[in-house]
Amino acid sequence: MSVIGTSVRRPDVPGKVTGAARYAGDLALPGMLHAKIKRCAIAHANIARIDTARALAYPGVKAVLTHLNVPRVLHYGSPHPRSASLARDQYILDSKVRYWGEGVAAVAAVSEEIAEEALDLIEVEYQELPAAISVEQALAADAPSIHGTKSNLVTDPVLVKRGDIDRGFAEADLVVEGTYEMGRPTPAYMEPNVCVCHWDEDGKLTAWISTQTPFMVRGILAEVLGLPLSKVRVLVDHMGGGFGAKQDLFQTEFLCALLAKETRRPVRLEFTRKETFLGGRSRHPGTVWLKQGFRKDGTITARQARVTLNSGAYGSHGPGVTAVGTTALTSLYRCENVHLEGRCVYTNTPIAGAYRGYGVVQTYYALDIQMDEAAEKLGIDPAELKLRNAVREGDLAPSGHPIVGHGLEDCIRRGMEEVNWKQIRGQSPKGKNQATSGSDPIRRGWGMGCEMHGSSAYPGIKEQGNATVRMNEDGTVQLFTGTTGLGTGAHTALAQIVAEELGVGFEDVSVVHGDTDVVPWDIGAFASHTTYMGGRAAQMAAAEVKRKLLESAAEALEAATTDLEVKNGVISVKGSDRRLSVRDTVSPKRGIPSAQLIASATYQPTKSYSFAAHFVEVQVDVQTGQIDVLQVIPVHEIGKVIHPVAAAGQIEGGIQQGIGHTLTEDHAVDPVTGRSLNAGFVDYKMPLSMDMPPIRTILLETAPDPGGPFGAKGVGEDPIIAIGPAIANAVYDAIGVRFRHYPITPEQVLEGLRKK
Amino acid sequence: MLLKLKINGEARELAVEPYRSLLDVLRNEAGLTGTKKGCDVGDCGACTVIVDGKPVNSCLMLGVEAQGCEVLTIEGLRHPLQESFIRHGGAQCGFCTPGMIMMAKALLDENPRPSEEEVRFAISGNICRCTGYTKIVEAILHVSHRNER
Repeated sequence: MSVIGTSVRRPDVPGKVTGAARYAGDLALPGMLHAKIKRCAIAHANIARIDTARALAYPGVKAVLTHLNVPRVLHYGSPHPRSASLARDQYILDSKVRYWGEGVAAVAAVSEEIAEEALDLIEVEYQELPAAISVEQALAADAPSIHGTKSNLVTDPVLVKRGDIDRGFAEADLVVEGTYEMGRPTPAYMEPNVCVCHWDEDGKLTAWISTQTPFMVRGILAEVLGLPLSKVRVLVDHMGGGFGAKQDLFQTEFLCALLAKETRRPVRLEFTRKETFLGGRSRHPGTVWLKQGFRKDGTITARQARVTLNSGAYGSHGPGVTAVGTTALTSLYRCENVHLEGRCVYTNTPIAGAYRGYGVVQTYYALDIQMDEAAEKLGIDPAELKLRNAVREGDLAPSGHPIVGHGLEDCIRRGMEEVNWKQIRGQSPKGKNQATSGSDPIRRGWGMGCEMHGSSAYPGIKEQGNATVRMNEDGTVQLFTGTTGLGTGAHTALAQIVAEELGVGFEDVSVVHGDTDVVPWDIGAFASHTTYMGGRAAQMAAAEVKRKLLESAAEALEAATTDLEVKNGVISVKGSDRRLSVRDTVSPKRGIPSAQLIASATYQPTKSYSFAAHFVEVQVDVQTGQIDVLQVIPVHEIGKVIHPVAAAGQIEGGIQQGIGHTLTEDHAVDPVTGRSLNAGFVDYKMPLSMDMPPIRTILLETAPDPGGPFGAKGVGEDPIIAIGPAIANAVYDAIGVRFRHYPITPEQVLEGLRKK
Repeated sequence: MLLKLKINGEARELAVEPYRSLLDVLRNEAGLTGTKKGCDVGDCGACTVIVDGKPVNSCLMLGVEAQGCEVLTIEGLRHPLQESFIRHGGAQCGFCTPGMIMMAKALLDENPRPSEEEVRFAISGNICRCTGYTKIVEAILHVSHRNER
């Protein structure tokens, strides 16, 4: 292969390094107004009265919206196709607020400053309701009902049963049990949510939105605003990250569209950074109670779990995250007897949603830490225990599909070799070196964690990949894709796939995207979908164009199509010197255009899984409690690697977020008032350049999947999952204190050392 | 009020509200949207530009404070760092990239051959959420190594 597997120059990046790249928020339309959202400062209340008269009278204010003058349509906060179990529980604006920071009104004015000033002039009288800030409060018998339903469960519990756990536990020589607790990390994409809306005279809405899912957003905007799909056009060119969370609608899009409609002027609505915490989506906080039985040889005989996730005030992706996270516990480490329950609970806190790793971060954190706990009790090395139990070829994946290859075993073995695991592990076992190291407060340790993650959201969502490929009369090629340019480099990968399939140069392929009026439908850039699904569809469309191209060439070259090959833009007859350039094949002959070469393809997926094992060295300062990650060696098996630099970039970035989750990141809300306590980058602490350790990424291609383009699988979701338990396990290796939660703070380290 | 300054080598006269930040002046009045607003309170570094040779968070400076100054934004920059970011995978979503590159340029102006530690220190006020910084640091060090030759 000549294009696949090479780190070609990404065509989207030159604009990013010169400032030319246009993001939704860069747009300025003539006559454009600016909008702001008024947010409540109460966790649970009915709106008794809302008075906008003073705001409307304020010079420069053009429109004010409240629940009294917007359409009241109950809708899904997350606009996935209805095949997914999602919660239909949101209004654009409601007469009730369910968390501190929820939007209650919106203002459009001639400037952002005026819009913001006008927010203070809107008078709202609240009738406070008892709030359930914690999951325990929400599940209590006398809990206030957040959505008027009998229980505060977002959806029926997810139940997964395989085999017989009673028999499994009876056969166990060792039973390990524990409860693991996860905080509330937030994706903190650098580009705050933003949209610009404009209506034309024909009643068509055009919306520039920083979204991962333009077609889903189009669908729900149309549904709620009562428009046909042809009257809603969503545009997104470059976007400043999303990490899963920019799949929802955030009240913003509806409000921006309605303000634009009412004022008959374009309207721009941009979140402040604080609003990305309040009105955005976090990962689900929650707990995992996990119990496993083991034989002496390390075989897992039974696994039982109860996953409880905190959805916040609305359902968003809660049902999907709960299902995916819970079901993930059927796999990774083989076990025939499994009984799992997953619950998702409404609370009066900010909304949790989709975020890279989608429930699996939480459940595998528990699972992989417990494997280390069991390993110690069994007297087996933890990596060895994980290797013995690793899922492999033919085992059923969480999706129910048979696993292809031995990716997980390959990752564990390679990582063990790479770090010389048997040598390094236990050099400072359980803090034993405290005695020998005198006054040095630094303890070092190694840990490892594993993960697997599916490419595409199938079968939870009935996915499909679509693409259209057109060859122009000069031999250049355009790929029309509905996938979104989130920043991952996926569009580059798609162009590589098309170039490879067609046998033309990478520079001859360009990607058309970002306009729901033009490109084929796509579900959106999430769930490691783009390269796998969009890429496979692009490959199929390119193959069809190639077939037509070769038919044309066969005539000119007087050869059978089966005797032709295309390489570097030249079609040649195998075993002869007869050749014709692609360009000459398709260019007009004697002024007559040749038949247009265009093809579309739809790909209905299979399912594939990518695998990883992360090996981590940490140091713990036993005087300050500070944990530093010293180095990470992530080994990922992702099938055929299309663009090595971009793939490694995904892994390094995922590790950064995972280190943050494990050590510092937690969007805290006041346990009494539900007030957000750290909605900003000073108090919500993410790993910065000084905090990040060296990362030596190893990419394996040992289990390519026939479902993906050229055997490629997903890579975006994976790297955030294994890093967390690897760090927690390394901390245990360093100081002998077992932490079963994240984030693990210095105070807790000191407390743990004191209690030891 | 009337703000007279040089932006990217060009003399500009802009009518600006006195309370507008330099960032908003650049983006909204001067039409230079390459400089990004990631937090608007000086925490993220996405808005970094160079004013009279020094890197500043343009969200923390009033536009009128740049009276008579020379401002360099990403649009006016032509520097080997840019190609290095492309080649090394230093940009993913690209939203932090303009600020990151301006900060790196300011570093290399002052210290053409920084150590990795110095690079990491220099960009520690520029948040990137995509890359883990690995490839950003590589991209900057690559340019500084060229300076060694």
